[in-house]
Amino acid sequence: MASRKKILLKVIILGDSGVGKTSLMNQYVNKKFSASYKATIGADFLTKEVLVDDRLVTMQLWDTAGQERFQSLGVAFYRGADCCVLVYDVNNSKSFDTLDSWRDEFLIQASPMDPESFPFVVLGNKVDVEDSKRMISSKRAQAFCQAKGGIPYFETSAKEAVNVEQAFEVIARNALAQEESQDFNPDFPETIPINMNESNEGCSC
Amino acid sequence: MPQPQDAPPSPPSPTASFYDVSDDEEGEYSAIRQSKSNKGVKLLYAKSKVYVHPSASAKDNVAGYIALVEQKPVVGDGERRKSAVTHPPAVAGKSGKSDNNHNLLLSWLPEGSLGDGREKYAKADMAEADSPPHRPDLVPPPPVTTTHGASIGTYPFSVPLSEIYSILFRPPSSGWWHGSIVINTRTGESFPALFFHDNECQSTINQRKRLQRENFDIGSSSGGGMHWGGDEVMKWLKNHATVERSAHEPSLYLVDPTEDDQKAFGLSRRPTSDNVRNMLEGKDKGESSKQKKKEDPVGKALKEARWTVLEKLSQVTTFTRRTAQAVAENKNLPPPVRRLMQSPQVQSMSDEFDSARLYLARWAMSIAEQAEKERSQRIWTARDILEMEESELGSFEVLDAEALSLQDKRKPVTAEEWESFFNASTGRLEKTQLEVKERIFHGGLSKDDDVRKEAWLFLLGVYEWDSSADERKAKIHSLRDEYIRLKGAWWERLADDRGSLEEKEWWKEQRMRIEKDVHRTDRHIPLFAGEDIPHPDPDSPFAEAGTNVHLEQMKDLLLTYNEYNRDLGYVQGMSDLLAPIYAVQQDDAVAFWGFVGFMDRMERNFLRDQSGMRLQLLTLDHLCQLLDPKLYEHLQRLDSTNFFFFFRMLLVWFKREFEWFDILRLWETLWTDYYSANFHLFIAMAILEKHRNVILEHLKGFDEVLKYVNELSGTIDLPSTLARAEALFRRFQRMVEAIDRKDNFPSMPTVRQRLPQPPPSPSNSQTGASASGRERTAADNAAAGAGKEKEKVISPELRMLLSRDIPKLEKKEVREHGGGIGS
Ligand SMILES: Nc1nc2c(ncn2[C@@H]2O[C@H](COP(=O)(O)OP(=O)(O)OP(=O)(O)O)[C@@H](O)[C@H]2O)c(=O)[nH]1
Ligand SMILES: [Mg+2]
Repeated sequence: MASRKKILLKVIILGDSGVGKTSLMNQYVNKKFSASYKATIGADFLTKEVLVDDRLVTMQLWDTAGQERFQSLGVAFYRGADCCVLVYDVNNSKSFDTLDSWRDEFLIQASPMDPESFPFVVLGNKVDVEDSKRMISSKRAQAFCQAKGGIPYFETSAKEAVNVEQAFEVIARNALAQEESQDFNPDFPETIPINMNESNEGCSC
Repeated sequence: MPQPQDAPPSPPSPTASFYDVSDDEEGEYSAIRQSKSNKGVKLLYAKSKVYVHPSASAKDNVAGYIALVEQKPVVGDGERRKSAVTHPPAVAGKSGKSDNNHNLLLSWLPEGSLGDGREKYAKADMAEADSPPHRPDLVPPPPVTTTHGASIGTYPFSVPLSEIYSILFRPPSSGWWHGSIVINTRTGESFPALFFHDNECQSTINQRKRLQRENFDIGSSSGGGMHWGGDEVMKWLKNHATVERSAHEPSLYLVDPTEDDQKAFGLSRRPTSDNVRNMLEGKDKGESSKQKKKEDPVGKALKEARWTVLEKLSQVTTFTRRTAQAVAENKNLPPPVRRLMQSPQVQSMSDEFDSARLYLARWAMSIAEQAEKERSQRIWTARDILEMEESELGSFEVLDAEALSLQDKRKPVTAEEWESFFNASTGRLEKTQLEVKERIFHGGLSKDDDVRKEAWLFLLGVYEWDSSADERKAKIHSLRDEYIRLKGAWWERLADDRGSLEEKEWWKEQRMRIEKDVHRTDRHIPLFAGEDIPHPDPDSPFAEAGTNVHLEQMKDLLLTYNEYNRDLGYVQGMSDLLAPIYAVQQDDAVAFWGFVGFMDRMERNFLRDQSGMRLQLLTLDHLCQLLDPKLYEHLQRLDSTNFFFFFRMLLVWFKREFEWFDILRLWETLWTDYYSANFHLFIAMAILEKHRNVILEHLKGFDEVLKYVNELSGTIDLPSTLARAEALFRRFQRMVEAIDRKDNFPSMPTVRQRLPQPPPSPSNSQTGASASGRERTAADNAAAGAGKEKEKVISPELRMLLSRDIPKLEKKEVREHGGGIGS
């Protein structure tokens, strides 16, 4: 029988302020939406136990403030993440444009072993809002995700609970795969080796 | 097996009638525990293509059957069962069902292990019956297990129904994965998940078709979801047992739940405090009511507090066994809670990651909190404070009598008293500034009249303390004009096409940000609740919801501040700071300037480089090191000395932690700068100290500390926190004095402030940029460098805490680090 040890999957949810990170998390964990969640200050997390195949895992979902200046203090949480969820608001093109920098910032701060294969999931939230307000088409978002190495993409509504469960199932699955791949190399170095200065010579770029 | 006459009469049910038939007509199947007489057991139902997934790889999957079989009653079985099944069934009328359930086995067998029985299983699978067959086939008995244990490789298992505590039913999910069930036994074991590969299972495919046909007229299937193999298993179970869904964990079903289980899982009506208390204290009703009569008030209060927490506990659907164990072994727990932790319903539940520690920690605190609240109902006496200090902070120096004659000082300042501070004809203050501040610091301002409206303007620096009534009138007048001018400026900005593209983008963004935040700020306060006017902008995301006049005023105010301080601009958190000021003033221009005054000191919290926040967190770090080294060490072990868990409290001055009226009281206290312009850090320390024992004993990681501290929100008692913070400040002050005396002997105390300061410890060396007021020369450093005692260090950050000067930023600093459009 596969080991029954408790697995904790750490998931970081990032995206501009107001795209609905807190609402998505609460919809997934508590199955409810409230229009009066306060703007997130600092950081918090919710946990949920789920079955991924026959593995009972605990997802620890980290929610941080979206305004970029608060990120510098939050990066401590990025370490040891198993999956990163990038959220934007389909009715707000700015929030889509910043996805790339959220991703880059995460990779820099979390410095995962193998950044190429680190699992991201992109969520386009607030699809319940009337079509006329929509700024980012599915096609455009899918093209972005394709270009970034095939990031799974979901269009969600935290308000009407559309696709939330499905998205988080994939998040859980990918996080578990990441966690397990980490298990084989348990003692990776805490800090990046000192190659910043040395590598300059050989690099012509 | 009980004699028939022992069982209460039960209505004919499939089970009952079947049972009669079986016993009379076919006595030849064996009781499987006596596996020597290997005649076989009755196969009631079976379903094929039920898999165990032993690894992540699909090629390791093992296909099998899930089945419900019935074995012959075992002789002497009644004895065994008495000890195994300690919980009486909840529903008397259905007890007939449960009586048989130790003979019914839920089994899973790999296809390869069926041998001769294979065809019979296949036949039972395809039998489309809603009730058990009249003449069930006999099959070889499956091995009975009540534990799963380390049976690696030996997959077949079978559990008596009476030993099943609950089953987790996870329906298949829109093509992502197979439906599955997990069986949990009364001993707290979980069996491996069984996956229903419905698309391979002919019987399920047939059932789906049939259901579709049947429901065609109605339009859709009743349950909402697609029929799957688990539904069949549920049907079998319901034919033989009481199956109830947990209210808290909707995919969890309890099998023959006891009354206690029902309470714990919120199955029936909400439990009353009495019956849960009885359950916890192991009393029957008679005893407890006798007990209640002789209860003293304190005991009663404790019980009430305990009850609220236990109610919460009963709603937590799980604890990991490990945690439950650790908690149960904690000697400090009162016996009822320890008993609760050991009860099977708690042990076998499964839910939140390590929540037990947090819940228990909170439970312990809520009792203390309750006691404290009671104490704060009356006036604080010197004795209370001394007691508090001795018990919670160890060796405290005795506070001077003056500070402790608090009875008068702790009454809030009323409008009448406030007026009496001023000269009736000139309107000039006749007391000293410090006297007034001391009064407000200790008593606060009355919430029952309008005194805050005026007093806050002094505290926020809108009015000069030495101004006359006429001067103040003139000041307000010109401030009103200035407000209108500033407001007009951004109005125009939005209306015309002036400004660079970048600037326009910024304004658009700031406006959106403000709007989003105002609509989620303090909406529970009547002033900000509800929407009764249409939104002025039909393109706003809030157009549909609408708005109200106060929300619109808040937005205008924040946009005006955005105009006023373009170097910084609006940053999240500011709406939280504005709301109380606006609510007290209810006059936009006046509120604006009050807010500006508040922001002058809060600006450093919102800089783009976060240097101000870092500095304060670092100062808290030093303060904790000095005042509570033991706690500090523990936090160090938990990687928590970044004190990030205080970020929210410091950023918006505890706005998210206290109730509305407490915030008004707290802020006016802090605005006095009576002891220190950074007194909010002592409030933070007071909160930390209050919870130190819980943190020391229960919290084992950074994430737990963060969660615990976040969840203090709404539970903190303000009066005692203020008193504790004051005591901490005075203690801090004395320690600094003592250390200075020691370090600088025989220097004259008068030059104390300029004497060499030891350097901060290495880990603390990078400090924030601004507002610390430290001035250290190279010579100072050299003098301090050699061999100072490590633990007694007054860092510049700490020394700053003794200052009453408000830490305001230079305009230049805001321009450089503000992150607004001006920078
Ligand atoms: N229509 C609609 N509104 C949503 C949805 N999700 C969130 N909102 C609204 O969008 C606003 C912001 O939601 P939050 O969940 O607080 O956003 P956030 O990403 O956590 O924001 P920060 O905490 O500031 O980073 C709120 O007013 C929500 O009610 C959605 O799916 N549909
Ligand atoms: Mg949020």
